[in-house]
Amino acid sequence: MGHDIFEISINAIKLIVVFLLIVQAVPVLVWLERRGSAFIQNRLGPNRIGPFGLLQLAADAVKFFFKEEFVPANAVKLLYYAAPVIALIPATLAFAAIPLGQPVQWNEYLFRLQGYEINVGIVFVLAVSSLAPYSILIAGWGSGNKYALMGALRASAQVISYELALGLSIVGMILIYGTFNLTEMIQAQQAPLSYSLLGFTLPLNFLPAWGIFYQPLGAIIFFAASFAESNRLPFDLAEGEAELVAGFHIEYGGFKMLLFFIGEYGHMIVASALMVLFYFGGYAIPGISLADLNQWTADHTASANAASLLAGLLTFVCFFIKLSIFLWIFIQVRWTLPRFRYDQLMDLGWKTMLPWALFNTVLTATFVYLAHL
Amino acid sequence: MSADVFLFWFLAILTLAGGLTTVLVTNPIYSALSLAFTMIGVSALFVSLNAYFLAGVQLIVYAGAVTVLFVMVLMMFDLKHELITFTRGKISGLVKAGLVALFAGLIVGSVLITSDVFSKSGGAPEAVIGGDTTKALGTILFSKYIFGFEALGVLLLIVAIGAVALARSKGGTHAK
Repeated sequence: MGHDIFEISINAIKLIVVFLLIVQAVPVLVWLERRGSAFIQNRLGPNRIGPFGLLQLAADAVKFFFKEEFVPANAVKLLYYAAPVIALIPATLAFAAIPLGQPVQWNEYLFRLQGYEINVGIVFVLAVSSLAPYSILIAGWGSGNKYALMGALRASAQVISYELALGLSIVGMILIYGTFNLTEMIQAQQAPLSYSLLGFTLPLNFLPAWGIFYQPLGAIIFFAASFAESNRLPFDLAEGEAELVAGFHIEYGGFKMLLFFIGEYGHMIVASALMVLFYFGGYAIPGISLADLNQWTADHTASANAASLLAGLLTFVCFFIKLSIFLWIFIQVRWTLPRFRYDQLMDLGWKTMLPWALFNTVLTATFVYLAHL
Repeated sequence: MSADVFLFWFLAILTLAGGLTTVLVTNPIYSALSLAFTMIGVSALFVSLNAYFLAGVQLIVYAGAVTVLFVMVLMMFDLKHELITFTRGKISGLVKAGLVALFAGLIVGSVLITSDVFSKSGGAPEAVIGGDTTKALGTILFSKYIFGFEALGVLLLIVAIGAVALARSKGGTHAK
């Protein structure tokens, strides 16, 4: 984690801050979702407590804490209590590997604005998120309720099915940029856009070389599959109220329910962050290259440390804005589209998205091969 | 004891405990969950060997897909009846102990026989020692071991097609 006490303590604090980021984003997102959905549906939403209903979050938290502690009679106690805790792990571990801003050079120390840097970041994020079905399955089976079990089976089957399309849609990006490293992938998207094939070059200098311009099909498949991965509408068959009441978390109340909530929103945040990272240039400010930004901060601050810190901060803000746009799209889609039927969901995953993702992979591989001739 | 050694023993003990729980627990659900735990432990051991890519793939394929399917299928059974199938007879117990001994002997024997294979072949392959193992792994898989790799791929394809064919011959999921 570092060579001396300063570096180690900063890195340890960083881990906690990244965890708190994801946990603290949830109440804000819940407020946004409730108010946003209310305006979409021509209602007002929670507006009584605090300005714009913002303190509703605090009231909710207090309510969650003081609810009665309850275990169903048929539940397996160990698994029933373990599931909500396990639900937190995949999203927070994955989010910690995502670079949130340009690394800060402080004297001889280099601090990355992420929990930890992993050379095969993409594989790590996919691997950790693939553990998500366990908490759902454990919750569904452990609560000893058939609605919960059916919700769990549906949810995990769905997550496993869409993982294939999700993984394959990123393969195109890996082929083009030739790296598993998330930071290197952001660096590769800094140059101005230009398509080159068989000696011909089509420069489009007014656009950045973002992944979306190279992999539009991959981006669409990735974004759609990430909705299914985080069990959000239109793919929230796991909790279809008409059939299953509430799905796998039907027996959970109070703070245990909130932990599942944080897990779900965590998946949403990770999916949006990956979308920004792979297809929208990561933490880079659109139109300004990282070199220009570093030059500007160096001109406007006294020391190299302050310049680096300012650049890190600006890129973090930029990443955060991009992230918020995608989080809002998640919310907007939830309150716009109706829910799929289960067979439609499976058909979409296996018969539409998987073949298109495979086609995208083969097409990209062909073009990459031709471009390297 | 250095950090690496501590990490190895910590992970090895956790993984072995997971493996032992898998075979010793009578409830199949707990068994499958500990299998998943064992897979995660093996993946962590890969990380401690600097094989990051293998660790990730181990998690995605085994912990994230194969074992999840085990757990899913097991959860659909009424497990109270399954408990009876674990026999406790003397003769079958002896057979079990004998099989375990045979298997343990096989593992110990293969480890002992192959332990000096690196010294005979002149050291471990270059790719294993270097920093970025992912690229080296890909290069080796698609050049030196391409036929074995492709043969494995075809084998897996045959299994997948066979499973689909078997399922469809009985009417498939839309059977009346």
